[in-house]
Amino acid sequence: MSLTSKLTSLLMQAALWLAAFISVFPFYWMIAGATNTANDITGGKFTLGSNLIPNITKFFELVDVPRIFFNSFFVAIAGTFFTLAISSLAGYGFEIFRSKTRDRVFGGLLLMLSVPFAAMMIPLFVMFSAAGIMNTYLAIILPGVASIFMIFYFRQNTKAFPSELRDAARMDGLKEWQIFIKIYIPVMRSTYAAAMIILFMTNWNAYLWPLIVLQTNEMKTIQLVVASLATAYTPDYGLIMVANVLATLPTILVFFLLQRRFVEGMLGGVK
Amino acid sequence: MSGLKLTGLRKSYGAHQVIKGVDLVVEPKEFVVFVGPSGCGKSTLLRMIAGLEEISGGDLVIGGVRMNEVDASKRGIAMVFQSYALYPHMTVRENMGFALKYAGESAENIARRVDDAAKILELHKLMDRKPRDLSGGQRQRVAIGRAIVRHPDVFLFDEPLSNLDAELRVQMRIEIARLHKELQSTIIYVTHDQVEAMTLADKIVVLREGLIEQTGTPLTLYDDPDNQFVAGFIGSPRMNFLPAIVQGGALVLPEYDGQIIPMPPVATALVQDAEVTVGIRPEHFKAGGSAALDVTIEIIEHLGGESFAYARQGKANVLTIATNSGRHWASGQRIKAEFDPASVLLFAPDGARIR
Repeated sequence: MSLTSKLTSLLMQAALWLAAFISVFPFYWMIAGATNTANDITGGKFTLGSNLIPNITKFFELVDVPRIFFNSFFVAIAGTFFTLAISSLAGYGFEIFRSKTRDRVFGGLLLMLSVPFAAMMIPLFVMFSAAGIMNTYLAIILPGVASIFMIFYFRQNTKAFPSELRDAARMDGLKEWQIFIKIYIPVMRSTYAAAMIILFMTNWNAYLWPLIVLQTNEMKTIQLVVASLATAYTPDYGLIMVANVLATLPTILVFFLLQRRFVEGMLGGVK
Repeated sequence: MSGLKLTGLRKSYGAHQVIKGVDLVVEPKEFVVFVGPSGCGKSTLLRMIAGLEEISGGDLVIGGVRMNEVDASKRGIAMVFQSYALYPHMTVRENMGFALKYAGESAENIARRVDDAAKILELHKLMDRKPRDLSGGQRQRVAIGRAIVRHPDVFLFDEPLSNLDAELRVQMRIEIARLHKELQSTIIYVTHDQVEAMTLADKIVVLREGLIEQTGTPLTLYDDPDNQFVAGFIGSPRMNFLPAIVQGGALVLPEYDGQIIPMPPVATALVQDAEVTVGIRPEHFKAGGSAALDVTIEIIEHLGGESFAYARQGKANVLTIATNSGRHWASGQRIKAEFDPASVLLFAPDGARIR
């Protein structure tokens, strides 16, 4: 190996180590912070401490944890379920059924991707207020169920769905909706798994829109609670880190459970 | 078993017509093969019979009942697809019994019929496997099994062997022939493979650009084609075509330095200087024939049992000569390609056969 290629390899490794550090260190700091007092953290302590149990106890005293987690899980699971149902159905329909206006309608939908959510917040707020659904689970879930990105994702993946399977199912006597449920969904399960992870994380981590539509403490999700802990006059960072760890666990769990299917789905696999 | 009657069957996509009026009768228990070049409409016609494509015009009658608007699952038809189309998330047993389940059959009836089909196709050891755990040949057998369990009036096969390797293709071809004999079923089979068409069919339907060119038994099409297209399409290697001019009751071949060959026996009186096309099958070149062409071999292929020589004179079109006495032939060798003039076919400039 020449000196130049050795040097290039060394520089590349250094860059990768730096990138890995930037990715992993905040995560480690969060875990270490959960075991330390606020003073230790602000004092610059990065090692594990012994204050985990007091931090957890304090968190459970201050926050109605079961209620908050129920809210978060309900919003994330229901949001994921309805978005998957509606977006996959739309993506399947756009790809399978031909019409003269199909591509124009789809183009229009894609164009809407360029409209930022911030621009839609006020009209949505006014609409939801008029509909009387503010401070409800429905208000958090509804704006995201027809996700244009997810419709696009499902349409692209449906291109890999063999048309002969649909023909065979039609010959076997299945109606169109039965083909979708009995054949399409099981065949495309990797695609669904990848979408499920993305949607669960998006819904679980949602902050801005829930902050706008949720008005009472008993409706708050974990992300809003974490944020409210940080707005105290003297924030207790140990407490905040415990809340962060608890808020992160479900997404990690979902990712590891569906990891294999996530990779398959991202590669567009029909298994 | 039911027969089929297609009357003026048409299919259009907007202004583009792909099936332009097909009339065909398929007798009960008949094995009919649709052949034709890519894009001729053979698969579309099959899908129209299956109910997977809407019929734009004409009538489709199966077993005496008009089926144009009847749902695919209620036509008494089962189809075997090119890519097998097995449901990947189901076992072999589930795949085979799926249609029966949706037809409302009892569990015992489904199990009995699936087992019967498995026995016929020797699938019993594979019943609990998923399609991904099967070889190509096994998958194809399952696809056929799935069709058999439905006890259909008509089987449709859409190029079922084209995904298999050469050896498996031969095996499956024999298996399909055996099944037809055993089940005594009406079969419509689409292929572009000459050998499959010639060996399996009771009747071959040659299609071109959405129309039937000729219908007949394999040997009728081979021996007595109606036109140059059918003559060229049926038979492998394909028939040789040479331009010729009628002069003095014989045929002059301009590409062969004006060489003259005798006129084959035709009833039509051909006028002096009429332009015709001479068709000679590669296997009709035989030593001892009374006519001959002087050619130079460009490429020779020895297959063991027979040899194919690709030869020509000057800049004439290459002739294919099939012979089982050409082992000593070599590239560059000049030979006399002898043939019997009586075996030659003549075609008019519009491609119609001159009889």
